[in-house]
Amino acid sequence: MQVVFKVQRYQPERDGQPYFQSFPLELPERATVLDGLHQIKDERDGSLSFRRSCRSAICGSCAMYINGAYHLACNTGVETLKAQEIVVSPLPHLRVIKDLIVDMQPFFEKFERALPYLMTTTPPPERERLQSPEQRRAFEEMINCIQCAACYSACPMVWTDPQYLGPAALTKVYRFVSDSRDEVGRQRLALVDNDHGVWRCHTIFNCHIACPKNINPTWSIQQLKRKTIARRLRFWERG
Amino acid sequence: MYRVRHTDLWPSHYNLGMWVWLAQRISGIVLVLYLFTHIWVISFSIANRQGQEFNQVMALFQTPLFLSLDLLLLAGVLFHALNGIRVILFDLGIGIRQQKAIFWGVLVIVSAIFAWGVSLWWPFVQGKPLV
Repeated sequence: MQVVFKVQRYQPERDGQPYFQSFPLELPERATVLDGLHQIKDERDGSLSFRRSCRSAICGSCAMYINGAYHLACNTGVETLKAQEIVVSPLPHLRVIKDLIVDMQPFFEKFERALPYLMTTTPPPERERLQSPEQRRAFEEMINCIQCAACYSACPMVWTDPQYLGPAALTKVYRFVSDSRDEVGRQRLALVDNDHGVWRCHTIFNCHIACPKNINPTWSIQQLKRKTIARRLRFWERG
Repeated sequence: MYRVRHTDLWPSHYNLGMWVWLAQRISGIVLVLYLFTHIWVISFSIANRQGQEFNQVMALFQTPLFLSLDLLLLAGVLFHALNGIRVILFDLGIGIRQQKAIFWGVLVIVSAIFAWGVSLWWPFVQGKPLV
């Protein structure tokens, strides 16, 4: 299979502007975009920089903007893009460190603000905290998140409000709010009940379209909106 | 800092939700501007003496240009109102996973009411408005 990879290059200490560089490639059938990038790095230009680890869509390192859509490079078949030219750029609207590598610092800082871990107020039981299969199913979709930041990069509200938690962090908040074992739900809702939390979401659905794991963060955020209202109505409860 | 041309900002890369959101914003701004213009025009036209200016202004609004702008206004109001209901439903947690279907539903209702509006508007074009 013959294709041309058009890759966005940028090295801050050398280049004034990012630019696109074309690499005509001969790839095996069923090659992924990541295979193509590897071939460039191994055989054509060793200075090409990109992030990747697991090659099986579970580490969330290789989210990129490929031919006008958000993809993980590792599970996107070149064939499936049905194009002679594969345009690969880093995640839009994030600061580029080099070539396809973007600064994920703001994304992970917001993730930390979302307190992405189970919190309890009662002493731990003798054995583990049990949960029924139905209770577990409440957040089946949300735990598929691999923190690739595709949704974060696709959200117009993130572009315009640097403080906005963003779709991934809010989905994580909902994941714990809907977890039967978590005991600080009201505090979690208080955390997102503001201009830079759930109320910044304008239901544009870009995050859902961008998500390579087919999660719908818009749905989770609207559930949080409802729960924050319910929390305000039950003002006599603490927290 | 360098300037990147983000290719995701090309309209050809927009998703349905993005278009609808933009249309809601733009129609909202246009309607606010229209409202203030409307209040201003009406107030200055009736502020004067024997209603002469009011009649002149009304005559101007019967010209083909303003009559066609009326249709644009009708479409803008209908879209903004009904899509607004769609967004409120989302905020209440209703229909989020059917967002595209709900948008097409909104468009059908907007078109139906618009067609009815056109049937009411047509006599004005012919110069014999309904009483």
